Amino acid sequence: MAAVIIPLTVKELNLRSRVIIITPLLGAWGMMLYTFINVLRHGSYLYNIGNWGPKIGIQFNIDLFSTFMSLFILSLSLLIIIYSLRVIEHEIYSPQIPVYYSLLFLLILGMVGITITNDLFNTYVFMEILAITSCSIISIKRYKENYLAAYKYLILNTLGSLSFLFGVALLYMVTGYLNFGEIYIRINEVWTLYSTNLLLALGLMVTGLAIKAAVFPLHIWLPDAHSSAPTPSSALLSGLVVKVYIFTAMKLLYRAIGFSIVDAIHIPRFITYLAVSGIIMGSVFAIGQKDIKRLLAYSSVAQIGYIVLGFGIGTEQGLSAAMFHVITHGLMKTLLFLSAGAIIFKTGKRDIRTFQGLGYKMPVTMILFTVGALGMIGIPGLNGFMSKWYLGFAVLEINQPIYLVIMLFSSFLNAMYYMPIIITAFLMGNDDKKEEMHVEDLPRTMLIPMATIAFLCIVTGFFPQLIMNIVQRAVPTFL
Amino acid sequence: MEIVQAMMGRINYIGAAVLFVIGLYTVLTHPNLIKKVIGINIMETAVFLLMVSVGYVTGADSPILELTKEQTMRGPYVNPLPTAMILTGIVVAVSITAYSLSLIIKIYEVYGTIELDEIMELRGDQSID
Repeated sequence: MAAVIIPLTVKELNLRSRVIIITPLLGAWGMMLYTFINVLRHGSYLYNIGNWGPKIGIQFNIDLFSTFMSLFILSLSLLIIIYSLRVIEHEIYSPQIPVYYSLLFLLILGMVGITITNDLFNTYVFMEILAITSCSIISIKRYKENYLAAYKYLILNTLGSLSFLFGVALLYMVTGYLNFGEIYIRINEVWTLYSTNLLLALGLMVTGLAIKAAVFPLHIWLPDAHSSAPTPSSALLSGLVVKVYIFTAMKLLYRAIGFSIVDAIHIPRFITYLAVSGIIMGSVFAIGQKDIKRLLAYSSVAQIGYIVLGFGIGTEQGLSAAMFHVITHGLMKTLLFLSAGAIIFKTGKRDIRTFQGLGYKMPVTMILFTVGALGMIGIPGLNGFMSKWYLGFAVLEINQPIYLVIMLFSSFLNAMYYMPIIITAFLMGNDDKKEEMHVEDLPRTMLIPMATIAFLCIVTGFFPQLIMNIVQRAVPTFL
Repeated sequence: MEIVQAMMGRINYIGAAVLFVIGLYTVLTHPNLIKKVIGINIMETAVFLLMVSVGYVTGADSPILELTKEQTMRGPYVNPLPTAMILTGIVVAVSITAYSLSLIIKIYEVYGTIELDEIMELRGDQSID
């Protein structure tokens, strides 16, 4: 069954209710796992809501891609929520904690919904759910910069949604249907008759999605929003929410419009230009940052550039490399944000110039941070390397080795801002008092999710076939 | 003469596009935060206008069965599907306006001003980049 039902939790007033928070999420995760295995065995199917039929009803497309990504979204959110149960009371005003969890569940509902849906207007509705809930989990922390960051994010998000809806209206004007499958049947005759309309609609929709996915020139909301938010929301936003819009763009461009038309208007080429500029400029901006969360946010801009590069290449290998990088970046960035949050929780330091000797006071956290950072740079043995490897192959397949040079150069830039943190933490300890390394007493609910994610990073670094098998079976449904 | 007639026939779509651009200009250039919200509302109106006028069929009846107590379905009807979708869109627009206005209230409490350039000067150290 379509396991999109994530209930709104009862508003409990005290923290004994952690069990109530975790249990529906575990139930939904179990249902999604069951659906995923079902789809693996029996093939995909379309699910009509209320049995109205695809021409006038809303349809969910339960196939390998959507169930796999929804499983990924749910498992990562499960780990982040387990982590957040301890850290949240330090960051937000205490009576609003149940509200925070309700918002988180609505966010997860929005993300799973937008991955599964097969209908354009339903996508718009879920996009608006995501817009309001993701802005709310930033502004729920009552600091000065949170309000302005949430306002900027909200206005830009709404601009993106409206431009997307304008494109949907234009597309509806010429095809008369909102279902992806139905549009695809009619798109060829539309392209010959109304090519200007289609061009305008696609341009507006891609721009709207690019604002929300923080592709390079339109990324200006991302540093403020992700750096000032509470840690679990930063991890969720940076690891999952920006990717969902790329999924929507993938579904729109490849399933509704069809690759032949998209290639004829040279959309993939423009997307790769924007992606390349994002990769370089994101890392360039990150080098000058002193606040650790802002640095991680700029690094997100660069990594999203990688994903959009893979998406813009347009071949089967490019798409599977992009999807693999979605998963690996989600894992690594979540790990980095969670360990940064643990550092802030324990010591209250956010400035990376004050990290001296932190490796001796909190060795476990710094080791986990190092795993994530090395994965981001692309050291072999971790999953970041494997995703750059696949992207490199995809780039070479279309005979544009300049992109490979840019990717290597940006790996070098990544190293330039991650290595100083690791070196400062481990090697520049205080010389006068020899501190021994002792395992710090971080709460177990915080350590276990981080350690799980780090373990998954290392495992997928050595055995990427676990994920690539499923990805390579899911990608041909697009092309 | 013919082009004016072609434009008059499609005045809905042209109006929607013009309103969209006016709203976009308002959002991008005015420093006052409330004017940005008003700009967003103008843009939303433009998009809804476009969507509703897609469904309009010239000279057709309202989409209600048995409007004049006859038992048969007469001629063409105006398409009710876009109008139904716009109802959802209007609700979304209202909720976003409400949320952004409450954020503006909080920003005013914290910063004392709602002009964006003054807020940027007050923030000072954290640069825009």
